[in-house]
Amino acid sequence: MNIRSISFRLVAWYAGLLTGIFLLLCAVLYFDLRHFLEKDLRQAQLRRAHQVASTLLAHAKQTGEPYVASQTKDWYEPEINDRFIRITRADGTLVYASGAPKDGSFDPTEVPVFTPQLETESYHMLKLSGGKTLLVAALNFKSSGNPNYLVEFGELLDPIETMLNRLFLQLAWGFPMAVIIIAGGGYLLVRRALTPVEQITRAAERITQHNLSERLPVSSTGDELERLSVSLNRMITRLDDAFQNSKRFVADASHDLRTPLTILRGELENFAEDARLDSELRDRVGSMLEEVVHLGKIVEQLFTLSRLDAGEAQTEWTRFDLTELAQTTAEQMSLLAEDKAIAIACDGRQPLLVQGNRVRLKQVVVNLLDNAIKYTPEKGTIQLRMLAVNGHAVLEVQDNGIGIPPAALPHVFERFYRVDPTRSADSESSGLGLSIVKSICIAHGAEVEAQSTVGSGSCFRVKLPLSKN
Amino acid sequence: MRILLAEDEKKVADIIVRGLKAERYAVDVHHDGQSAWEAANTYDYDLIILDLMLPGLTGTEILEKIRRKNQHVPILILTARDGMADKIKNFETGADDYLTKPFAYAELLLRIKALLRRGPVNRDSVLRVGDLEIDRLSQKVRRAGKKIELTAKEYSLLEYLATHPGRVFSRTMIIEHVWDQSFQGLTNIVDVYVRHLREKVDDAFPIKLLRTVRGVGYSLNDETQA
Repeated sequence: MNIRSISFRLVAWYAGLLTGIFLLLCAVLYFDLRHFLEKDLRQAQLRRAHQVASTLLAHAKQTGEPYVASQTKDWYEPEINDRFIRITRADGTLVYASGAPKDGSFDPTEVPVFTPQLETESYHMLKLSGGKTLLVAALNFKSSGNPNYLVEFGELLDPIETMLNRLFLQLAWGFPMAVIIIAGGGYLLVRRALTPVEQITRAAERITQHNLSERLPVSSTGDELERLSVSLNRMITRLDDAFQNSKRFVADASHDLRTPLTILRGELENFAEDARLDSELRDRVGSMLEEVVHLGKIVEQLFTLSRLDAGEAQTEWTRFDLTELAQTTAEQMSLLAEDKAIAIACDGRQPLLVQGNRVRLKQVVVNLLDNAIKYTPEKGTIQLRMLAVNGHAVLEVQDNGIGIPPAALPHVFERFYRVDPTRSADSESSGLGLSIVKSICIAHGAEVEAQSTVGSGSCFRVKLPLSKN
Repeated sequence: MRILLAEDEKKVADIIVRGLKAERYAVDVHHDGQSAWEAANTYDYDLIILDLMLPGLTGTEILEKIRRKNQHVPILILTARDGMADKIKNFETGADDYLTKPFAYAELLLRIKALLRRGPVNRDSVLRVGDLEIDRLSQKVRRAGKKIELTAKEYSLLEYLATHPGRVFSRTMIIEHVWDQSFQGLTNIVDVYVRHLREKVDDAFPIKLLRTVRGVGYSLNDETQA
């Protein structure tokens, strides 16, 4: 999982926030409940103390203290109910003290003799041996005509502690579970929300300069993602327009250059044929003509490119044997190679049936071989390989020439790109041969790539789908 | 021989007219489609040269109109568009030949001549240039009685040049005729072949038949005829 992805960060943030809020809530709940329960217990003790005071102690004079003691015991049964009750006179002597509870949960003798307070009501917690806590509420009973008494009622905090512990355990278990569920659910939700983004990304990556007419899918949900795809599509449209404009420019320019070139060429040819011309002048006119012809060739190739852009190579498709085509082309060009004492070795015997525009695919072979011959020194070798790889026909043209520097390699198929502008192998080349190769390959759904090592040669590989029967 | 030329570029038209007049053809020039069509409709031409991009009526429209009326007059199309689809469409409508700008002037003349001679064309089985003999049936070449061995491509090249002795052939014409469209732009292959041909045909003889015209192309001619 990519920790920098939006989905991860969103989930982390919101799981973190929820954890914080939950922790706070749990803490508030726990302590508030504890406070409330303790207060409740305290008030219950005080209420009982008041009850004893108002119903029994107020009449102690008439009934006598032993009655108070026996009544208190009868009412509350402290030994059975796990309670602590003690009634003391102002001088500290006992009127009544409850005995040890039947279940032995605490020892009432551990409770120290309480020194009367000034306040009427007070309470305190007593830590007993065995780790138990006893809450004792004390009432300082004063009434006119009666001696003062201290009434103490106590109860163990045990049930509260047990309950709180249980709550704590439940929270401690439930909390991580809740966080995991929240994070998981949140992740799924975010993923669902971001799936269209993923789709848009993938679709956008598929779009290159060659399929700018394609558009991203737009989900009509009215949300931000719809707006995103719509604006991306608008951007692609603008890019497409820009590319179309540049293509149209090339087409128009190469078209409009033809008429002036025709005129120039015609005039110069007339001139060159003029018998009255002396040889030096004739030579100069010839030189001019050569340049006009060269210019014409560049215009021609630009025009070829713009026709390929317009989809010309997608017409007139036939099924033919690429091996046979490559071999005959190599034979036709062998003289050109022999002129530089370069040997062309053909490798590949089995027929490779492909679908395509035969004339244009032949041009691919011609241009690649011509390129190889141009950049291979005398007595070099060129290998032409045809093989079938995974349902594809592969054509390789490998030379042992000067090679292409790594920095220039990605650009060799660009229009007018020259590996070394100062070292154009000959003024004949226009710098368009390889871009024509590339355009033809694209039109055939074929891949073309170049590999090269400076000093030891280059290899151009064309990968074309084999024709299915 | 009377030729109609419909070409809106005045300079291009001028060059063509000058060349055709030098070859002693009568030429009528029209710079717009409408008047070209009227002329074609009125007079009986031996050949019509049509530019496709004409103001008024386009070349294709004129082509259609002429073909509806007169099936026979040869029509040569000049165009700056050489898309395959255009070419096929115009051939279907009835064009006899097709030339893409910029063209070599020599090529235009050759094609005009070829079109005008179409019909009663008498293809001699043996072509002769000076003491060079090319037998088209057996594809054997002799010079001064001595047999010369040529490869198939060398033979095609020599035979092509020999069809019009003295006429200059551009490299593009040679490529299109002897090789095919895929070799477009690879004109140096012609130079290599001509050099090989020279070694076989000319080197052993004092009179050189293969002539290079700088910037234009090659021709085969017998100096003694000139």
